[in-house]
Amino acid sequence: MNAPRSYLFVIAQLTLALAVRPVAAHHSNVGFAVETVLNANGVVKAWQWTNPHTWLILTVDDGKGGQVEWAMEGRAPSVLLRAGWSRNVLKAGDKVTVHYSPSKDGSKVGMIARVTLADGRVLPNAPPGD
Amino acid sequence: MFIWSSLPRSVSAIAVIVAIALVVMLGAQSTSSPRPDFSGVYRPINPFGNAAVGGGAPPAGTPAPAAPAPGQPLPPPTRTAPLSDGSRGRSADAPQLTPTYLAKWQAISKSRIAGSSESDKVAQCLPPGMPLMMSMFYGMEVMQTRDKITFFSELNDALRRVYLDGRKPTPAIFDDPTYAGFSTGSWEGDTLVVDTVALRDDTYIEGFTPHSEQMTVHERIRFASPGVLEDRIVVSDPKALVKPWQTVKTYRKMTGPPDDQLREFACAEGLGHVR
Repeated sequence: MNAPRSYLFVIAQLTLALAVRPVAAHHSNVGFAVETVLNANGVVKAWQWTNPHTWLILTVDDGKGGQVEWAMEGRAPSVLLRAGWSRNVLKAGDKVTVHYSPSKDGSKVGMIARVTLADGRVLPNAPPGD
Repeated sequence: MFIWSSLPRSVSAIAVIVAIALVVMLGAQSTSSPRPDFSGVYRPINPFGNAAVGGGAPPAGTPAPAAPAPGQPLPPPTRTAPLSDGSRGRSADAPQLTPTYLAKWQAISKSRIAGSSESDKVAQCLPPGMPLMMSMFYGMEVMQTRDKITFFSELNDALRRVYLDGRKPTPAIFDDPTYAGFSTGSWEGDTLVVDTVALRDDTYIEGFTPHSEQMTVHERIRFASPGVLEDRIVVSDPKALVKPWQTVKTYRKMTGPPDDQLREFACAEGLGHVR
């Protein structure tokens, strides 16, 4: 790719990114304490089947009668498809347990290790043996 | 009568011509070396390698525990991904860096430990580049013709082309370094020997190990066993590396759907998530 074309490509990407404004900003694994795994019980507010990473927006009781919203970042559809997930595997209102690594900056963003559905089904973050 | 008397002679003449053609074709095949067909979809075997000790930096998560026996609860996961910030130092088999480039690595490590994604080019949807892309973390599709082999990485939809038609890199190619570089290859028996030049200096060798614009990559690619493709990689860089670094990647060929189908990876879809 020559230089002028790569600029056009980047401009196109930025335009698209602005048009589809994300719910949370984070990305690389290095934003998370990957060797710490916590868990949260909550209700799915939204499930976004997007590249490069998926997003599970989770509503969690704060223990004081209120609710807080967490953005749980999942792996790419490419990987999750082979681990038993799908575009429709989660829907708003589903009660789930999420195992996650917390963001290093303390924001309410986590990186998904596993999601357990109300019926006990477990969705791991990688295909078996991967 | 005329027809009946001439037919057998025509048939036998055709048969002789066909036989001669077959002998010539078979002879030509047996004298040229066999070229294996690498075409197909592959998944990497042990793609994360030594990532857990800090030498590697895969772009995303890591294995969850295997499914337990029926009726047994799953143990809780202990991590979401291999540690990829260098906080445990460099692994013993990581490339040996010159002091200047070790300092660069340490600076990147510091940024990563602090939680910044600034150094993660793949997370910014940029191509992983050579040789990192040959880790093929998610999957690889190989498309082979007589004159060219194309390697496609599901992660970030990254592509490289290896020219087999004898062309060589020109000064214009060297003046225009790219993520995948310029690759030429030739066959040595069942092994494809590939040399890659004209690489950008802002990608990583593996993990987040930096390199200079002088990096070159030499590969020997073959079927190590039926269905298992092996890439023996040697990375040279007189500025960044104390000595050439060698690694071996292996990939298992997928035999049917859905595993032999790569999914679209439209990374730009979520580019705005990056900070």
